[in-house]
Amino acid sequence: MKLKQIFISLLFAMFALTTLLQASSSDVATEVVVQEESTEKKAYEPKSIGELATSFMETTGINAILDVNDGEMTSEPKGPEYEREMTWFESSLGRIIMILIVFILFYLAIAKNFEPLLLIPIAFGGLLANIPLAGMGGEHGMLGIIYNMGIANEFFPLLIFMGVGAMTDFGPLLANPKTAILGGAAQFGIFGSLVGAVIIGFDIQDASAISIIGGADGPTSIFIANRLAPDLLGAIAVAAYSYMALVPVIQPPIMRALTNKEERRIVMRTTRKIHRLEKLIFPIVVLMLALLILPESAPLIGAFAFGNFAKESGVVDRLSDTMQNSLINIVTIFLGLGVGSKLAADKFLVLETMGIMIIGLIAFSIGTATGVLMAKLMNKFSDEPINPLIGAAGVSAVPMSARVVSKVGSEEKPGNVLLMHAMGPNVAGVIGSAVAAGVLLSIFK
Amino acid sequence: MAEVNYIVEALKFMVLGMGVVFLFLFLLVQVIKIQAWLIAKYFPETTPKAPATPVANTTEDENRRVAVIIAAVSEFRKNKS
Repeated sequence: MKLKQIFISLLFAMFALTTLLQASSSDVATEVVVQEESTEKKAYEPKSIGELATSFMETTGINAILDVNDGEMTSEPKGPEYEREMTWFESSLGRIIMILIVFILFYLAIAKNFEPLLLIPIAFGGLLANIPLAGMGGEHGMLGIIYNMGIANEFFPLLIFMGVGAMTDFGPLLANPKTAILGGAAQFGIFGSLVGAVIIGFDIQDASAISIIGGADGPTSIFIANRLAPDLLGAIAVAAYSYMALVPVIQPPIMRALTNKEERRIVMRTTRKIHRLEKLIFPIVVLMLALLILPESAPLIGAFAFGNFAKESGVVDRLSDTMQNSLINIVTIFLGLGVGSKLAADKFLVLETMGIMIIGLIAFSIGTATGVLMAKLMNKFSDEPINPLIGAAGVSAVPMSARVVSKVGSEEKPGNVLLMHAMGPNVAGVIGSAVAAGVLLSIFK
Repeated sequence: MAEVNYIVEALKFMVLGMGVVFLFLFLLVQVIKIQAWLIAKYFPETTPKAPATPVANTTEDENRRVAVIIAAVSEFRKNKS
């Protein structure tokens, strides 16, 4: 219905144009000259109406989609020398499929409220990247500029990490430090799926980049993908963020399957009070440990520690407020659009994407499962009761997975609030996945 | 050279990676414990007592001020009507 309307109005426009051209060809001549001025000043040669109409037709999107062998080039942010000719599929059907995928993402973000802050910019970036002939993702296109500005050099993920650091409260972790180990157990998802990806047939370096999705940490995934497998960045980022959005769907069944009713009903003791100094010193301590053990993780942990230190210092509220709000919002817009540029049909519709989506899901599930199992083990040997559910929060989707844990816990036993207890493994998970990322980087250095 | 078995390589990555992650977090836990102990020893919590009284005072003052403002506003409205 809508399509028909558009088509008819287009025909009308064409008709109006041709009659107008016949009426005054001199006017049009100046117009065309203005159009061509931007590329190269050429002496204008008189053209017939027919020629003008066909040359216009060649620049329309309809033509670009219908004419499958027009030799359109892919747009690459690195510059024209990396461009290649599109295949017929990429320049026609592929675009349409991608635009449909974008609409599905819009639906998920708006109607289902799945991480709309990320999905909307990413999906819109994808829509822009699939406009034919516009070269939005190219070196001088809007998306390409954004991509070169902060994604190709890994700057935006670090800024996000800074903001996350400024938002994170380490209180629950400091109150019950043992639970940090759970944040480590969940990183099995990363390395387990690394093995899986290699078995499927991915190159080991690509496999490492993909498996980081198991850390359920968007910025870390982008950071690593950029270093290890820049070609797969789009698929990895989209997979990481869509699984983060799907935490409330994916985690609860796994959590229920691995625990029994008794365990889910365990009430944990209230946490001790934290001295302000402890919180203040903590980011420095984490940074010192990173410095001693794994300098490779310094960019991620450094940005995180800086954000947290600014917050806990209590004297630069203006700065920490900026990091938590305006800065992270601005960067999210750019990051989303930049990642969206990788949703162009020629980059996204490749066989690897399917594999990445599947491995991402496996990675995420293993992470949840090992976290829960580790928590069960700790509960057996600890003198304090530990609800195994909090292990699931070890994947670092902050604070989503902690909220999911709390929800499942209170369904089983109303009034049992696990949120604060789950935040411990949750923030330890962020540190854990940054460390795991550092290990992978150190291997491929 | 024989063909590299990437699955074995990946398993090695796993051992190394999980080892480092656990080592890091284990050290972190120990450091948190030491830090909590040190801070409890050398900087005992004295802060909650000191602000306790002034806080109560200020809220009382606040309540009185709010009451005064409400009275003034209602008086003003009465006059107006």
